Amino acid sequence: MRPLAQVLEGRKVICCVGSGGVGKTTVAAALALSAAIEGKRALVLTIDPARRLANSLGLKELGNQETRIAPELFAQAGLHPRGEMWAMMLDLKLTWDELVERQARSPEQARAILTNKLYQTLSTAMAGSLEYMAMEKVYEVHTARRFDVVVLDTPPTTNALDFLHASDRILDVLDNDAMRIILGPMLRAGKLWFKLLAAPSAMVLRTLARFTGTDFLRDLADFMIAFEGMYEGFKERAARVKALLTSPEAGFVLVTAPNPLTIQEALFFHQALREDRIATAAVVVNRVQRDPRRHGGPDNVAAMREALMLAQIKDSGDLAERLCTTLTEQSMLADLERREVERLSRTLSGVPLLIVPRLRKDVHDLSGLWQIDQFLGGQ
Amino acid sequence: MDALLDRRLLVVTGKGGTGKSTLSAALALLASRRGKKVLVCEVVARERVSDFFGRPPSGPTIRQLLPNLYSVHVRPREAMHEYALMILRYETLYKLAFENAAARYFLAAAPSLAEIVMLGKVWWHATQEMERGKPRWDLVVLDAPATGHGLTFLSVPAVFLRLVKEGPLARDMRGMQSLLADPVRCAISIVTLPEEMPANEAIELDRALRSGGFPAGPLFLNGFFASRFSAQEVAQVTRGGPALAAAGEAADNHESRSELSAHYEGVLRKEIPRELLRVPFLFDRQFGAQSIEKVASAIAGSS
Ligand SMILES: Nc1ncnc2c1ncn2[C@@H]1O[C@H](COP(=O)(O)OP(=O)(O)OP(=O)(O)O)[C@@H](O)[C@H]1O
Ligand SMILES: Nc1ncnc2c1ncn2[C@@H]1O[C@H](COP(=O)(O)OP(=O)(O)OP(=O)(O)O)[C@@H](O)[C@H]1O
Ligand SMILES: [Mg+2]
Ligand SMILES: [Mg+2]
Repeated sequence: MRPLAQVLEGRKVICCVGSGGVGKTTVAAALALSAAIEGKRALVLTIDPARRLANSLGLKELGNQETRIAPELFAQAGLHPRGEMWAMMLDLKLTWDELVERQARSPEQARAILTNKLYQTLSTAMAGSLEYMAMEKVYEVHTARRFDVVVLDTPPTTNALDFLHASDRILDVLDNDAMRIILGPMLRAGKLWFKLLAAPSAMVLRTLARFTGTDFLRDLADFMIAFEGMYEGFKERAARVKALLTSPEAGFVLVTAPNPLTIQEALFFHQALREDRIATAAVVVNRVQRDPRRHGGPDNVAAMREALMLAQIKDSGDLAERLCTTLTEQSMLADLERREVERLSRTLSGVPLLIVPRLRKDVHDLSGLWQIDQFLGGQ
Repeated sequence: MDALLDRRLLVVTGKGGTGKSTLSAALALLASRRGKKVLVCEVVARERVSDFFGRPPSGPTIRQLLPNLYSVHVRPREAMHEYALMILRYETLYKLAFENAAARYFLAAAPSLAEIVMLGKVWWHATQEMERGKPRWDLVVLDAPATGHGLTFLSVPAVFLRLVKEGPLARDMRGMQSLLADPVRCAISIVTLPEEMPANEAIELDRALRSGGFPAGPLFLNGFFASRFSAQEVAQVTRGGPALAAAGEAADNHESRSELSAHYEGVLRKEIPRELLRVPFLFDRQFGAQSIEKVASAIAGSS
């Protein structure tokens, strides 16, 4: 089976994860394209794609809109998909709002939360919020069964735990026992809370207030009151999301660059996935330098001069030297990267390793993505 | 470059992985060579700078890396402890308020508390004086978090002061704010790469920084490929037959990257009103002290 087919086989959800700038968005879109070409209805759920890619796919910026990539765009790229490719850009705030509305026990409770002053900051600024909502959205789209496969692009994460446990950490913030105890007086005192700050028993609260200001504590207490009773529902749903991601229907694709630091991070990620009993479906090493010396040819300046002469190319200055320097640089880089890939493949035994070379230009349209697919397919 | 290094605080920010730590190390190295006593503060999860110089991680205590060059890893928990102690004065009070689940909670929930304490610590280093008014550090280099986070980080004093107007923390925040707005003592630099996303982020970051009133340091264009071959040379060598296939591919690769470099340099120069300094892409087997050395001489030479 071709490596790419192996990744896609039987999977309904694919998460592309990895460090910043390695090519997660590109690979996610390429995987969705490949599935569409093969006849599936595929959705790529992306986060912050490069503007040119978003534009060239006709993606809308806001509103959690599933957008079908127009058939004309495929035709222009000389592609004839048997299926459909859809794309959506995650809207963080809206996803939160929808989740709150879905989970609230009454419209009043939903309104109380959505209008809470702290809710906005908490929902959009908390570390892990984007990761949590990305997983939440995937779950929602998956359970609606509108697509055969959903490919999730994720925010840069160097630490797998930040990703896998994002929901745990955020839910802990939303409903935290220690905080309930400390804020206790505020939760109970209603409008007279400020008087409580003077009481000796509120010393901890007072100390915290020196750092955060009392308004913040007040808002927090309000928030906790509004959130009362919703925690269980959130937790249960988060558990179902996690169950989906750890099931055989889902697969994680680790994207990495071929340098030691990023590979190290990918290996950490792989390890963390294993500890959570999640199998890595594939590792993509992206933007690998190809070794020009695989073509053979002269390997020193004298030989290069001779080859230039034979080809009747005039070397008026130091062309041979410049060519040799350039060859040496790229060859050295390719060698360095090859060693890294070998190290990775030794450590990963059994996980399909897909190598994608650095293309001459950025990948910003369907034909670029299709080129990536050719390499992912193992050609 | 001299004028830049005469500041008290240099902040280096930009998209993740563009070379912020690299440039922080290079700037610190240059300043230390000019006889300044320099401290690099790293505030992100993973410490890098000590490693560039082949030294063990400094961790939360200041360690010397080279003559005149020191580094420290500022982490939220320790910074919170140190800083809270400075303000609260009493360990027991600190323990009561922070050494329980609430501390962890607050670092996660109050979105800027971690930044407040870390920036507080950096500010304290940057303004710390020894006897007779001589500063402890001639220069503090802050290897700041990546773009989005970096902006939040630098805006912390302003945001905090909107909420809290009195007390010891507010007083310190006012100090930080005035340092971060003072073009004589401070400069904020951006690092970027000749690629679409990093370039776009640099443009947005520059706008946000300028509208926030932060004094502009140079823009470093890292990973730069200078053109080496004429179009005619590439064409000839590429068509030069099997013996020149390798050379042709290499030259073509090089020129396609140099075209991207030139293209994004043009875009950046047009969009960002800052001095632009190129840092060449380095083909180094080990990215270490020698690489930092090369980066330092590139930025010292180009202005
Ligand atoms: N194989 C490749 N060859 C050439 N350019 C590539 C390749 N893969 C990706 N790129 C380009 O690299 C840039 C970064 O890719 P991409 O946006 O997919 O990374 P990312 O991991 O999603 O980044 P971020 O962490 O910022 O979200 C894009 O401009 C893309 O076009
Ligand atoms: N000019 C250069 N030439 C070649 N490689 C470079 C160059 N600058 C940086 N690098 C490589 O890129 C890596 C990342 O650089 P660095 O750690 O400075 O980035 P950063 O912006 O601090 O990253 P992070 O956002 O993860 O903190 C370095 O370890 C080095 O291998
Ligand atoms: Mg992306
Ligand atoms: Mg760094």
